[in-house]
Amino acid sequence: MLDTVSLSRMQFALTAIFHMLWPVLTTGMAIYLVVVEGLWLKTRNPDYYYHARFWSKLYVLNFGIGVASGLPMEFQFGTNWAPFSEAVGDFFGSILGFEGAMAFMLEAGFLGIMLFGWGRVHPVIHYLATIMVAFGANLSTFWILVANSWLQTPAGGEMVNGKFIVSDYFQAILNPFMVRSVAHMFLATLETSLFVIGGISAWYILKNRNVAFFTRSLQIVLAAAIAVTPLQIFVGHLSAEQVYEYQPTKLAAMEAKWETSPAGQPADWSLLAIPDEKGERNKWELNVPQGLGYILEFKPKLSAPVLGLKEWPRENRPKMVGLIYYSFRIMSGIGFFFAALMGLSAVQWLRGKLVAGAIEQQKLLLLSWIFAAPLGYIAVESGWIVRCVGRQPWAMYNQIRTADAASVIPAETVLGSLLAFAGVYSLLFVMTLYFGSRIIQAGPNLEMALPQLDNAPSVKEEPAELLPDQRPAEANQ
Amino acid sequence: MNALLHFLPQVWFVILGLFLFLYIMLDGFDLGVGILSLTSSDEKRRSILMTSLGNVWDANETWLVVMAGALFGAFPLAYGTILSALYIPIFMMIFGLIFRAIAFEFREHSDRKTLWNLSFGVGSFLAALGQGFALGSVIEGISVDALGHFTGGMWDWLDWRSILVTLTLIQGYVLIGSTYLILKTEGELQETHFRTAKIAAVTTLVGAILITIVTPVFYVAARERLFSPPLLYVFSAIPLLGVGLVGLLLRSLGRREERTPFVWTILIFLLTFLGLGLIVFPYIIPTEITIYQAAASPSALVFMIIFVGFLIPIMLFYNIYQYVVFRGKVKVVEHD
Repeated sequence: MLDTVSLSRMQFALTAIFHMLWPVLTTGMAIYLVVVEGLWLKTRNPDYYYHARFWSKLYVLNFGIGVASGLPMEFQFGTNWAPFSEAVGDFFGSILGFEGAMAFMLEAGFLGIMLFGWGRVHPVIHYLATIMVAFGANLSTFWILVANSWLQTPAGGEMVNGKFIVSDYFQAILNPFMVRSVAHMFLATLETSLFVIGGISAWYILKNRNVAFFTRSLQIVLAAAIAVTPLQIFVGHLSAEQVYEYQPTKLAAMEAKWETSPAGQPADWSLLAIPDEKGERNKWELNVPQGLGYILEFKPKLSAPVLGLKEWPRENRPKMVGLIYYSFRIMSGIGFFFAALMGLSAVQWLRGKLVAGAIEQQKLLLLSWIFAAPLGYIAVESGWIVRCVGRQPWAMYNQIRTADAASVIPAETVLGSLLAFAGVYSLLFVMTLYFGSRIIQAGPNLEMALPQLDNAPSVKEEPAELLPDQRPAEANQ
Repeated sequence: MNALLHFLPQVWFVILGLFLFLYIMLDGFDLGVGILSLTSSDEKRRSILMTSLGNVWDANETWLVVMAGALFGAFPLAYGTILSALYIPIFMMIFGLIFRAIAFEFREHSDRKTLWNLSFGVGSFLAALGQGFALGSVIEGISVDALGHFTGGMWDWLDWRSILVTLTLIQGYVLIGSTYLILKTEGELQETHFRTAKIAAVTTLVGAILITIVTPVFYVAARERLFSPPLLYVFSAIPLLGVGLVGLLLRSLGRREERTPFVWTILIFLLTFLGLGLIVFPYIIPTEITIYQAAASPSALVFMIIFVGFLIPIMLFYNIYQYVVFRGKVKVVEHD
């Protein structure tokens, strides 16, 4: 029988891993919707309007499930991690409160207008609502990353009698990890949704459905990817440097590094390995000579030692080294794959191959885009595994042990809720895939009447006619 | 400084009360409509019920998230203790809210609506059940040690008094849901909810009277405070006012007025809520831990007032704006 702490951890991991799937798409996609709706208002080209309408169908499906699956995240801090909540509530709790009041409410308050407001409010007010939804979603990324970064690199106060007393709230917000982590996650949501939109567009083009229409969305996401993919690799690298500086145990686990590499010497970088935790060594490894020095400092020899896991007693270092090691490699690998795919596509675009009429011939390229569609999710999940499993055995790095953070409740009770979550979330996952694929199969509706742009009233005078079985948005088809 | 130590937790008690009231009122009618949908006779009616909430349920539910976040920041001890003590009802509520939310999303794309209608109704009912038990046990008190840590069992929340509170809360949700539907529908459907509102008004009143009698009998700490002036006057005024409001509500229902029943119901909710607030105050974990013991440090409370406080009017503004945009009836259209 597993103990309460492990079960609570499993429950948090399970709900977080599932929950992540939905907002990671919607926060990025919201920005895409802002872009296409803005292009429509500016150019009056109906294609952009239909893009806004088509992609927002996928958006709302994912948004709703994101809301549903996100509820337990906040409540679990109280139910399963009561001592932790008590110890860090002053700052951590406040930040979650800000997230709710500033970000969630903004998103939820304008979502109704964004989804159902077409034809009810003036297009400019509608556009404003879309912007608010996107802004709310990304603000929520910001606060969540502030809170999580603070657990990684606590700042702005100190532990006094088991409670974190904050002396400087702004220092706590601006904790060492914050800026780079927010940037890394912001780019991750954007990158994931770019490649989902790109992958789906590529699928339509391959199927020869609405080729011109989806070539346009592919071009939009490709244009964004030209900036985002290399930038993400750079920001990822900056984040890893911070791990080296602030969380040496995590870095050692990411690299499956058991022995310390002293300063002034070259150090190998491990490309692949089979870590053996019991034996405190790698059973097999494939190394790049002098690689670590080049990655960390861009020179062959280290100027400071890189510590190996053996430097810490077992109880002070993360377990599941293999998981952390491979998650890191999967994440980085996907980042480089995205950049390569972007590079290839950009070249073909420059050669004039990515226009309706020629793009259908690019079968391999389009297939690669379809293949890339789910990779962003895998990269994000892997990254968070590195971030949070690698932080162990600490709930708050070097301050609060995870084992001391869990509520004292019977293991059977936690097991019960854990099993219920496993069942319900698997259902959510399958149903989202099923209904999402139905939306994609149905394709865009290019017959819809366009909303009146000139002389439209700011809010319609007559009462709303909400039709059952139809979002009012669809009523004016 | 001492005054501040006293004053800040009180401010947060009021702010939390406001958030909780907004949640119970707004998501209350969502959940009430959901529970009513279980008794609805046909598919078309159920569709209208769900459509009437389509654009608002998400924002309404978010008040719960805001409230929980604020509780976490302002009273961290209470957040941990209450939520872990109420582990089972809290997850009951969460699963209920999940079922309700997915019903809205999946139903629209599904060919077989029945399953998702059921998910909407059962989810709403389950959420109301969890909330009722949670509310009931908080009023009754949670067993804690001197430090405020939970010492009771996982099933402490279940007894006849919390069942009474739960039943009453469900009646209240049905009442506010019915009056909301009177506002949003017309014809036969509206007529149905004039009837359900009338029944629910009576059952809610009965429940509320029972709770009013039971609470001072079993809740010794509250008895002394409630039965000494000046609270005595307030505590005796609330039931009288309540009965008066229910009378006004029944009269407006009898006259087939469309808007006033919803207004009277909100006032009944507000009054009940004030009564409960008086019973609980100054405790945040009844019957042991006061808001002063459980509060975060004064600096944290100020920090939160700066960031959350100024947002309250803004949040209220755009939520009201949304109701203005979507005012009016849900129309029935025949699809053949």
